[in-house]
Amino acid sequence: MLNRLTRAILLAGLALLASLALAEPIQLRFVCWDGDEDMVGIFAAARSFEKAHPNIKVRVESVVANYQEKLLSQYAAGIAPDVAMMDPGNFQKFARRNAILPLNPFFKDTPSFRLSDYYPEIVEPHSLKGQLYVLPRDIAPCGLIYYNKSAFDEAGIPYPNGTWTWDFKERPELKEKDFLWIVRKLQKAGADGRMDRWGYSPGWKDLWTQQVFMSLGGRFADSDESPTKLMYDDPRMIRAYQFTADLSLKDHLMPSDTDIGKLQTNARQMFTQKKVAMFQSGIWEVPQIRKELVPGRPGYFDWDICMAPAYKDGKKVFPTGGSGYCIMSSTAHPHEAWLLTQWMAGEPGMTQLAKTGRAQPAIRHLAQSEPWIPGPNTPPEQQVPHNRIVTDQCVPFVRFGPRSPEWPEASGVAVTAISRIYDGSSTAEEILKAGNRRGQDRLDYLLKQQDLKPFDWRIGGTVGLLLLALLGAWIYAPELKIRRTKRQKRESRLAYLFVLPWLIGLIVFTAGPMILSLLMSFADWDIVQAARWRGMGNYVEAVAVDPRFWVSLKVTLLYTVIAVPLGLASSLALALLLNTKVRGMALWRTCYYIPSLASGVAASLIWKRLFMPDGGLINLLIYGPSGHGNILGLATALKPWADADGHVNWLGNESTAMPALAIMSIWGAGGGMMILLAGLQGVPQYLYEAATLDGASPWRRFRTVTIPMISPTLFFCLITGVIGSFQVFTQSLLMTDGGPNDATLFYMYHLYRDSFISLRMGYASALAWILFALVMVFTALQFRMSRWVHYEGATR
Amino acid sequence: MTTIAQAEAAAHAERSARRATLGSRASRGVVLAILLLGALAFLVPFYVSLCMALKTQSELATTSMWAWPQQPTLENFRLLLTHPTISFPLLLKNTTFITIVGTVGVLFSSSVVAYAFARMEFAGKDRLFIVMLSTMMLPGIVTMIPSYVMFAKIHWVDTFLPLTVPSFFGGGAFNIFLLRQFYLGIPRELDEAAFLDGASHWTIFRRIVLPLSGPALATVGIFTFIGSWRDFMGPLLYLNDPDKQTLEVGLRSYQAMNGEKWHMLMAGSVLLSIPLLVIFFLGQRWIVKGITMTGGK
Repeated sequence: MLNRLTRAILLAGLALLASLALAEPIQLRFVCWDGDEDMVGIFAAARSFEKAHPNIKVRVESVVANYQEKLLSQYAAGIAPDVAMMDPGNFQKFARRNAILPLNPFFKDTPSFRLSDYYPEIVEPHSLKGQLYVLPRDIAPCGLIYYNKSAFDEAGIPYPNGTWTWDFKERPELKEKDFLWIVRKLQKAGADGRMDRWGYSPGWKDLWTQQVFMSLGGRFADSDESPTKLMYDDPRMIRAYQFTADLSLKDHLMPSDTDIGKLQTNARQMFTQKKVAMFQSGIWEVPQIRKELVPGRPGYFDWDICMAPAYKDGKKVFPTGGSGYCIMSSTAHPHEAWLLTQWMAGEPGMTQLAKTGRAQPAIRHLAQSEPWIPGPNTPPEQQVPHNRIVTDQCVPFVRFGPRSPEWPEASGVAVTAISRIYDGSSTAEEILKAGNRRGQDRLDYLLKQQDLKPFDWRIGGTVGLLLLALLGAWIYAPELKIRRTKRQKRESRLAYLFVLPWLIGLIVFTAGPMILSLLMSFADWDIVQAARWRGMGNYVEAVAVDPRFWVSLKVTLLYTVIAVPLGLASSLALALLLNTKVRGMALWRTCYYIPSLASGVAASLIWKRLFMPDGGLINLLIYGPSGHGNILGLATALKPWADADGHVNWLGNESTAMPALAIMSIWGAGGGMMILLAGLQGVPQYLYEAATLDGASPWRRFRTVTIPMISPTLFFCLITGVIGSFQVFTQSLLMTDGGPNDATLFYMYHLYRDSFISLRMGYASALAWILFALVMVFTALQFRMSRWVHYEGATR
Repeated sequence: MTTIAQAEAAAHAERSARRATLGSRASRGVVLAILLLGALAFLVPFYVSLCMALKTQSELATTSMWAWPQQPTLENFRLLLTHPTISFPLLLKNTTFITIVGTVGVLFSSSVVAYAFARMEFAGKDRLFIVMLSTMMLPGIVTMIPSYVMFAKIHWVDTFLPLTVPSFFGGGAFNIFLLRQFYLGIPRELDEAAFLDGASHWTIFRRIVLPLSGPALATVGIFTFIGSWRDFMGPLLYLNDPDKQTLEVGLRSYQAMNGEKWHMLMAGSVLLSIPLLVIFFLGQRWIVKGITMTGGK
């Protein structure tokens, strides 16, 4: 009886547990790099998915910056999301290493799914060896010309309908069918000969160049999927680059590099400010233009979009962007992940996203109907641009660039110096031929399939432990020779209690990762796959093969030599000034510290604007509001570095970009100021009094009292300043992208690109340990020469 | 003889004192002028970001970046605080928690560790000091993945633990080194006298060294608070749940590709700076000449 009862209860309990387990919803993680308003549509789509699939819960995560780093870290740790956003330029490095799943086997899971609904032009770039890895979500052809209707009215030219063509020279006989003729007609020059309104500007310079040479039938490489041969020395490529340069420098039909590019105001803002009558870009500019041009507000004008011109033979090819969603191979629920992928990149998800007006659905029929195309139900403010169907008409002409994992680095090396073509200091032929050779060397090296043995973790682990033991021995062995009294022994033990927190932290949190990175510096490791043994290969590559190693080292050393003394001097000057008895001291100190409070991104944006050649504060101070002044003779002094307009383009000029960043670092002097101020508080007043009584001059008091007394803090600032400046890289990441012509390619930036862009973590680790050794030598030298440092409380 | 010499000395002292006041008045004017010019230059970036934060997008696009907004608007800030997908109060709570716990941890642990390096003799001290400095010299990029994997293995990812716990274990080489330099500047006479009275190292640390290090501790505290408040990579990597994010990461949403909203980004940057300004303003008061060191001789 009792037995049966127990059994019944047990059974009931089990049944309950089982039903609970069944009811327990499956949790999926979905990660994308969208942010802000776009997330509204994505959240809505995820919620509707949950409603349709009650047993699946979706957590949406938005990672707007450093997306690759986070995804790779999660993958390496085995906690990757189930579904992730991806694009043609990045998916191959995951797909080639089986980190993401091929999607073709899933197609049959969803009977309603038809790949033919998607534009083939975006399906192909997301495929590798015949398998689709990323389900396309959106496509973004860059063949749209935004045009100002009133500018066309003014010039008496009919609005463009996309049937125009371009040629290498103006063709006045074709009238409004000739693109360059229109560009010239729309220009308006001011009294001083400077252009008040340009006719046309590409959204970014390479956009026009790429469109030209692709329309001529040129290509970047022999294959887009797996390039083995760079084709930057193709005559069509050379012709296209030279054409773009000449259009701005000789024919004055396009704003020069001084006026456009990411260093300055962008082409869209030039358009809404009526400084350019047409500009070319993708559809994503629309929501911003709508906010900048509001009907009824001053400055408003009517505008629309049309297709960019074809070459005279009718051929046209446009660069494009696009993205989609992929399934990480580590997912525990591949089937559910597919359902989610297919939902988000399918009709439900894309209808939501199309409403924001930014992302053109990759599903053709969605891109041809409301809400993407304005219709009767579209609210009036979203009716412009009327001609939105052109986004669909552009698609057959798009071409993605090469997309193998090696491509960014190889092509980066090849085009390092193209700024020299655009500023007219070299011809396209010289730059591209030399660049192509260097890029090809790099690509050949990267493609060389090395037969490497897998990294033996037993040996690796043993070596790691051995290193730790050696370190311990190096620290402790010399102590064995020293005889200590009982009291000294007690003090030593007590001291270890004091440093214990740090020692534990070192062993638990710091030592392991450091040793691992040292081991990886002898390996070929791409984060995704298992590491392979490479011996000294990485170090040899750095010193003997990698052309950018020495360049970046030189840039960093020069920067250190300029920025560290400059920073130290300004910190000391500020600290001394703010240590006097001035009223409102707290306020002064805050003023000087404010630049150190800003976030890196915001500060970089501001500084880009301060360094603008026209309208930037720095040049305003040098050339005055008129732009022709010569304040304090600075304009004359800077003459050798000025561009065609007579101004210095600080961040766009090879010789001034790095010094500009060094000067900018003065604004970070607030940190050093605080440390030195704190140090100054420790200088006893009676020392000054005694020195004054001895008749010492202020300078002498400074030399013999102040400096020695704050020397410990000065020394600290020097040591940490050097360590920090060797690792500088945010500025070049956010402001100059290492350019122009590698002038701001800091060592750390080079290392960063190798680690997370090229996925060569083993090589990056070797670079890091070379840097480590260098900084160690510099620091040791400074400690050697630190006899000028006076420690009041040192043991005597 | 002595009286004449004394009188001469007194007269000399008076003359030089008068010269000093005259000189100091003129020099104070110069100091003030330099301070003002410098402060203006240093405030320019903040002024520009404030202008951008107070403008609507259409005004931002059509006016000079130098111009003060024609109609300053707090609309951008309102939008930040009521964002549909970012919960500002929740993010503020997370950020405050991480920052305060982290700062307490750093202050507590670095001040203790630095004491041993400055004031005590122990086996392997110099070489341990080199090891400590060396932890600053290896770029974090190459240790990022191993650290992440480690924290993932102990299930700390998506919790505040990786962002707070390590600060209790040493508080970073930068801070230990900084405090060690300060401690070394404090004359030994004080601790030697205390030793003779039978004080222990712990007592000397708490009663003599810590009270004399107010300015240095304030500096470390301010730096750590600001660094942790502004940290981007840490929270970005270690926190996945949108409800666990910090403000710095959450407000970067405006930096998303395809259409950065600089006015919103600036409003976020300005908004995040306000608590830091308050902290700085309050913290820097500790950096004033007090009773420090006068008892030395």
